[in-house]
Amino acid sequence: MSTIPPPPSPPVNGSAMVEVNGVSKVFGDVVAVSDVSFNVRAGVTALLGPNGAGKSTLFRVMCGLTPPTKGTVRVLGADARRDRDVRGRIGLVPQQDGLFERLSALQFVALAAATEAVSQPERAARRALEVVDLDADDSRSVSGFSKGMRQRVKLAAALVHDPDVLILDEPLTGLDPVQRRRMIELFHGLGDEGRCVLVSSHVLEEVARLGSRILMIAQGRLAATGDYRELRELMDDRPHRIRIAVDRPRQFAAALVESGTAVGVSVGRDSIVVDTRDVDRLGREVAPLAQRLEARLSRVAPLDEDLESVFRYLLEKR
Amino acid sequence: MTASRPTPTRRNMSGLRAAALTYRVLVRQVVTPGKLVALGALGALIMLVGWLVGITADDRDRSAAELLRDGAGYADGFGLIVLVPIVALVFGSSVLGETREDGTLVYLWLRPMGRAPVVAGAAAAAATAALPLAAIPTAVGGFLAADGVPGSGDLALAAAAAAALGTAAYSSLFVLLGLLVRKPIMWGLGYVLLWEGLAVGLGEFAARLSLRGYTRSVLSRVGEIDYGFDAYTTTTALIVLAAVAVVGLALAAVRLNRLEVD
Repeated sequence: MSTIPPPPSPPVNGSAMVEVNGVSKVFGDVVAVSDVSFNVRAGVTALLGPNGAGKSTLFRVMCGLTPPTKGTVRVLGADARRDRDVRGRIGLVPQQDGLFERLSALQFVALAAATEAVSQPERAARRALEVVDLDADDSRSVSGFSKGMRQRVKLAAALVHDPDVLILDEPLTGLDPVQRRRMIELFHGLGDEGRCVLVSSHVLEEVARLGSRILMIAQGRLAATGDYRELRELMDDRPHRIRIAVDRPRQFAAALVESGTAVGVSVGRDSIVVDTRDVDRLGREVAPLAQRLEARLSRVAPLDEDLESVFRYLLEKR
Repeated sequence: MTASRPTPTRRNMSGLRAAALTYRVLVRQVVTPGKLVALGALGALIMLVGWLVGITADDRDRSAAELLRDGAGYADGFGLIVLVPIVALVFGSSVLGETREDGTLVYLWLRPMGRAPVVAGAAAAAATAALPLAAIPTAVGGFLAADGVPGSGDLALAAAAAAALGTAAYSSLFVLLGLLVRKPIMWGLGYVLLWEGLAVGLGEFAARLSLRGYTRSVLSRVGEIDYGFDAYTTTTALIVLAAVAVVGLALAAVRLNRLEVD
């Protein structure tokens, strides 16, 4: 695993609120989570990884919705699968979109409050809906809500009982930029109050705005931990892969290796794929080099700008 | 929520309250227009055929006692053996089974509530939805098939009671089925048609393991008329039907606790 120092100061209390120790989860032949260990304290922590990386499975294991095949998970010192009281101290926004479709937002959130044994559930539901900018007096059933509104209903239901641990699986999906900003502010506010807020995302920019401690997960494994700035540096340090379409590929490849710009090159019939640690320098050199070699340059394109390639790189580094 | 907002206070959650909350939400979810139309049509068909059986009775020159037996046989054959288990299957298997499929089970599962109250509330919701659709056509169909002769009213009441008890017992079993398998309707139909439909004919021991014999005994005994197919005393039938319901719910609670929830 790529180890990055933890963020300078944990938000409120220093003890772990969620402890994940050597957790693996296997479904038939598929290893969804493989030997993952980490602790999460109060404050906002982002679980970053591409789709299918195992984020939702890990959240389900934390909430006790599915038992780990191996390892242990403790939330507030207990196993949520067995301990009823701890279940009442967790607020979950699940990834799936399903809601009780015939209920209005107020009825749905009030039901969540009632099943969490909150006194005056309707009053609590109104407050929670206000926090997520939804109209509590909207009598429509949630089946008529947009994706973003449904997401906020789920968020209100997760907040309504004032939980100590919030587990939010892709909670910003479907929200517009203003709502996203407001929700991120809300998450930070909750984290600053000493709650443990775990937010998953597959979007790097989203995590950047969370500005929190990050757990990077890929192919079911923990690839890296750290804060966003350190993670960004790590990503910038990795070799980049660029495809250059050119009519004299062998000469072009040799020149790039000779100049030290390329750390690796594979040569094709009418293109080369270059591995470089300095993309800017490569960008500056390509056109003059083509001119010098009298080569016809038709295309320069990055091959690994997607997040998956970053995760792949980090995993390969482990 | 944020510090500026008051923190909600918690109270202890009793099993009864947990069951009531589960009932309240699931009884609304389980009844859909599609189910109502399909099962209502089946019930209407049973009442229509019962009426046709009744009005053609004069042509067959049947006595009043024979007509009552015909009516009881009709309520048993079409109501208790076909309609009651099918209606209970549709609502019982879907009441938690559909929440599992559509991802809403998490909103009941990840709560500080016991599993048994959740299962009990779900079974009560299923039985509430199933009861009118099963009991009314069974009772009315039997009444009409007996051509309304004296004693038909008692027959209808007995048929309604038997259908109600059968609905409760079957609903519990099918709540369990909905938590055990992914396609509960298919499995449940197999059980209803193959086991409940044929078991009575396979000998006394097999018949004791089917619910059909107990519900038809209730029909036979409650009416205090010898319809010719009472195998068990009313007490035995009531105890067995109640025991099936309780054991079904207990197993469903265990299953719910061990379930992997999406």
